[in-house]
Amino acid sequence: MLSIENLRVVYHDVISVLNGISLNVQDGEILVIIGANGAGKTTLLRSVAGMIDFYDGDIIEGDIKMNGDSIKGLDATDIMKRYGVTYVMEDRPIFWYLTVEENLGAAAFSRWDSRVKPDMEKVYGYFPVLQKLKGRKAGYASGGEQQMLAIGMALMTNPKTLMLDEPSLGLAPIITAELFEIIRQLNASGITVVLVEQNAHAALDIGNRGYVVETGRIVLDGTAQELLANEDVREFYLGSGKKERKSYKDAKRYKRRKRWL
Amino acid sequence: MLDLLQTLGSGVLVGLVYALLGLCVVIIFKASEAFNFAIGEFLVIGSFLFYVLFFDLHIPFILALPLGLLLAAAVGALVERVTIKPLLGRAPISMTIVTLGLGFFLRACVQLIWGSHTYSFFLDLPDITVEVGDFLFLSDPIWAGILAILTFVLVIVFLFRTRWGLAIRATSEDQAKALAFGINARFILLIVWALSALCIAVAGIMISNFGALQVGMGFVGLRAIPVVLIGGMDSIGGALVGGIIVGMCEAVAGAYIEPLGLVGFKDVAPYILLLLVLFIRPYGLFGTVRIERV
Ligand SMILES: Nc1ncnc2c1ncn2[C@@H]1O[C@H](COP(=O)(O)OP(=O)(O)OP(=O)(O)O)[C@@H](O)[C@H]1O
Ligand SMILES: [Mg+2]
Repeated sequence: MLSIENLRVVYHDVISVLNGISLNVQDGEILVIIGANGAGKTTLLRSVAGMIDFYDGDIIEGDIKMNGDSIKGLDATDIMKRYGVTYVMEDRPIFWYLTVEENLGAAAFSRWDSRVKPDMEKVYGYFPVLQKLKGRKAGYASGGEQQMLAIGMALMTNPKTLMLDEPSLGLAPIITAELFEIIRQLNASGITVVLVEQNAHAALDIGNRGYVVETGRIVLDGTAQELLANEDVREFYLGSGKKERKSYKDAKRYKRRKRWL
Repeated sequence: MLDLLQTLGSGVLVGLVYALLGLCVVIIFKASEAFNFAIGEFLVIGSFLFYVLFFDLHIPFILALPLGLLLAAAVGALVERVTIKPLLGRAPISMTIVTLGLGFFLRACVQLIWGSHTYSFFLDLPDITVEVGDFLFLSDPIWAGILAILTFVLVIVFLFRTRWGLAIRATSEDQAKALAFGINARFILLIVWALSALCIAVAGIMISNFGALQVGMGFVGLRAIPVVLIGGMDSIGGALVGGIIVGMCEAVAGAYIEPLGLVGFKDVAPYILLLLVLFIRPYGLFGTVRIERV
């Protein structure tokens, strides 16, 4: 079980983004985390993955535990190797100038062994389209293919827990449905999934439980059914009521242009 | 005409050494987007390390060379740990500036240890002078060309045929993504600096063998600047072509223009050529064509 206890994170020593967040992820479940832009979802996943210092952020309070061991402050590679937590960053974290097959190989770097080839075949089994593209530079693949590749790469690391940051970002609904079906299958095969999404409906449909994050705090939690039925969630995240879905899509596009670092 | 071919041929041989220097700059630039201005000092240090092993300690060449190169790589790794690693994740320009300061510091160190006088440096490699008809290529430049291209090819094989090379290429594209997929970007950067320092040492030893070794020789390392700017900062093939072009340009300028009374034009010519290239192709001849999807 992954548990996050009263976590506070600041960037550049001054920008406070997570203000005491606590949550836990049960083994074998799909946990959904929803929240508006800038709520701190990505920051949360970066902290768990051990990558927060790369972005000049600091965990100033609280703890992150995996089955009781604190993993706070460990190197990203250690967290992945020792605890099997793999983080798929937002916006399709693939290597554009490597071929699809090289991407899968690169992701297997930390565990190079004789099972890499069979595992690659397994990934092609989940995502047959990748097999056809394997010699092509990943940058030329479509958005959906790139996201599948990103998840395929994550599988190459042999994860026990998969943290997905907005996998449906910029994908057509039909592709999203296909992708979420595969996420469900992966979960059924024994991988615990933490699913951060703006696409709350699709996510809660496959999820077991969910949390709603606002300005770095948990404001709501419950089973997927409870959240789907909740008035506020319906209004703000499911797009029923007056809030138009279109508006945050636009905001998102703007945000993607600006780069950190 | 014969004369020109002879000049160009010699230029190519030296150019291969420059290409190797360019490669060293390119791999660091690709991995960290920083330009290593301390390349000249790495070149001198690498040569001196070999000098100590081979000329002072009289270790046989076949052992002294790999040992010297490994030491050079260790120095590169050490420098990376101390100066570059703390800057990971910061703006690349800060790394570039650090290498400028580093250059002065390393030069001072060399001066303290070895002084600034000239050390004679003669490898006594088997004579492979080529003399066909009116052509004459001396043994030392041929050796330099061969060893440089050999090193170049080995680096490419390493980068494109091994899993370490794959990890380096992935990290070079995006450190955060690499980190997220379990590639230790910090360690990869260390490897890249060590590899770069090692190859610079090969070039340094070859260049020292043309004449003598002296702390001031570091300026030769800066030949890498026109090489990579002509070839494209992030292109390995560009480094090869750029190196050969700069070598030929220098040779032609030295043989045909300097005798007209323009002493020292040889050193300026590559920069003039550089300006011309950059007017036409601002990213260099082989600068990356970015993948754009509409
Ligand atoms: N490297 C950084 N340095 C400074 N501030 C940052 C950095 N990364 C994120 N932030 C800020 O932290 C806040 C939370 O960002 P985060 O990316 O975690 O939000 P998010 O919930 O993932 O949003 P989105 O849905 O848009 O991806 C934002 O206000 C953002 O501007
Ligand atoms: Mg985010």
